[in-house]
Amino acid sequence: MKCDSCQEKATVFYTQVTEGKLRKFVLCEACAQKKGITNVDDLLMGGDMLGNSPPQTKIQDLVAELNQEDCNACGFTLDDFRKVGRLGCPECYHVFSREIAERLPSMHKGGVHKGYLPEGVAMKQALKSELACLADKLESAIGDERFEDAAMIRDQICKIEKKKGVVEP
Amino acid sequence: MMRFATLLKHPADWMTGHGEETSVVLTSRVRLARNLSKSPFPGWSRKKDREGVYLSLREKLESVPGMKDGFSHELCDLDPLQKQVLVERHLISREQAARSEGSGSVVNRKQTLSLMINEEDHLRIQAIRPSLQLKDAFKLAHAVDQRLEKVVDFAIDPTLGYLTACPTNLGTGMRASSMLHLPGLVLSDQIGPVLKGINKLGLAVRGLYGEGTESLGNLFQISNQSTLGESEGEILDRLTKVISDVALYELQARKKLMTEDSIMVRDRIGRAAGNLSYAHIITSKEALNHLSMLRLGADLTLLPADLVESCDRLFMETQPAHLQWRAGRKLEPEARDMIRAQMIREQLQSSLPPAIDLSGKES
Repeated sequence: MKCDSCQEKATVFYTQVTEGKLRKFVLCEACAQKKGITNVDDLLMGGDMLGNSPPQTKIQDLVAELNQEDCNACGFTLDDFRKVGRLGCPECYHVFSREIAERLPSMHKGGVHKGYLPEGVAMKQALKSELACLADKLESAIGDERFEDAAMIRDQICKIEKKKGVVEP
Repeated sequence: MMRFATLLKHPADWMTGHGEETSVVLTSRVRLARNLSKSPFPGWSRKKDREGVYLSLREKLESVPGMKDGFSHELCDLDPLQKQVLVERHLISREQAARSEGSGSVVNRKQTLSLMINEEDHLRIQAIRPSLQLKDAFKLAHAVDQRLEKVVDFAIDPTLGYLTACPTNLGTGMRASSMLHLPGLVLSDQIGPVLKGINKLGLAVRGLYGEGTESLGNLFQISNQSTLGESEGEILDRLTKVISDVALYELQARKKLMTEDSIMVRDRIGRAAGNLSYAHIITSKEALNHLSMLRLGADLTLLPADLVESCDRLFMETQPAHLQWRAGRKLEPEARDMIRAQMIREQLQSSLPPAIDLSGKES
């Protein structure tokens, strides 16, 4: 079996059943070290692994990192994706975004879509990035106590929000 | 609605009669992968879901201009032979041929547009043009896409673009490919380095029927791999540039062969013509390889020019499923090989009159 993190041969196996749901991960020795699992006996005994942090939290984090949630929309699992290399539904792209992002560089020239988008989607996207930019400006204006600027920026944001409302049904 | 038999009676618009421009690049294809935002992808959905998607998409696809009097069938209505014929014509994929209920094929009368419902993705829009016309093919597919997006809610993420069942198609969802005839590069042993070079540029090279198929008849498909991170225009420009370079190498290789080793070329063409004119049993593989040489002979003006069209037609019509469809029944390979040989002899008779009559008929 291969390590969930690096595809090397796995030597550390972890399986947990909570609320009837199976969660598991397998790691190679190097990755287990890197992730702070140095003494497997500690895990089994429920002992204190990193001084004051209870190991259960550590494990929960690892489970979440290596074994993401199933897709709510279609029930597809990360294991399914690893097995077949395809996804279950459009929503899976959000659920398994980290795993997918790791794979994209070996498949494509870039990670961001530069091609055609239907007018509505392109417009929405442009407004969204404009809003994000204005929100940043607003924050720094307030921080610098430039309240006149802040008021102007707030008006701009309102205007765009209205426009967005027209685009977004 | 067009019947299967009517579809087959006519060679596709892009198959025949485009003269010199198709001497190296035979065809250009562009396909766009699209999915509905609210449904699981076909490979992960229940039959009931797939049938729902099929019915709702079919109605919308048939209302696209030019599709109304075309061909539209659910794959379960077609027998295995009919599906195989559509694969040989590149109108459906091999993957789709394995599907039945809830998967469908909608093709226009000229066979320049082929819409596949519930293949790997909910919808694949494919356009085919003769010679190196990837941009034209894209325009054709794009027009259909733009029309459909008004009535179908496609799965789109502003950052990742069009969401597809397999992340290898993500972004533009566009796969563009051309079919090239490269006998010059094969005969002069330059094909290996050229294919390697194409691979290094991040493009894929495949045989006649796509992924995992062997190259027969010196036919090769070159296509883009990456679909994300570049615009459609950038992908098409890069691909067109590489393909026209390869086409140029091919023409140079042919020229060089004719000045340095013309006797070998003439020998290969002559033997191919001899085999095709007189063989009574011929496999599909052997036929493709000889037809490739015959086409080269016609391109080099060593043989009558009208042979190019005959060869292109025979490339398609001597394929196993086309042959059986024509014969009107399922045939064992041995029987196919006899009918194939006979078909080729008859087709070539007008261009290459046999010097010796071996037909066995009383004169």
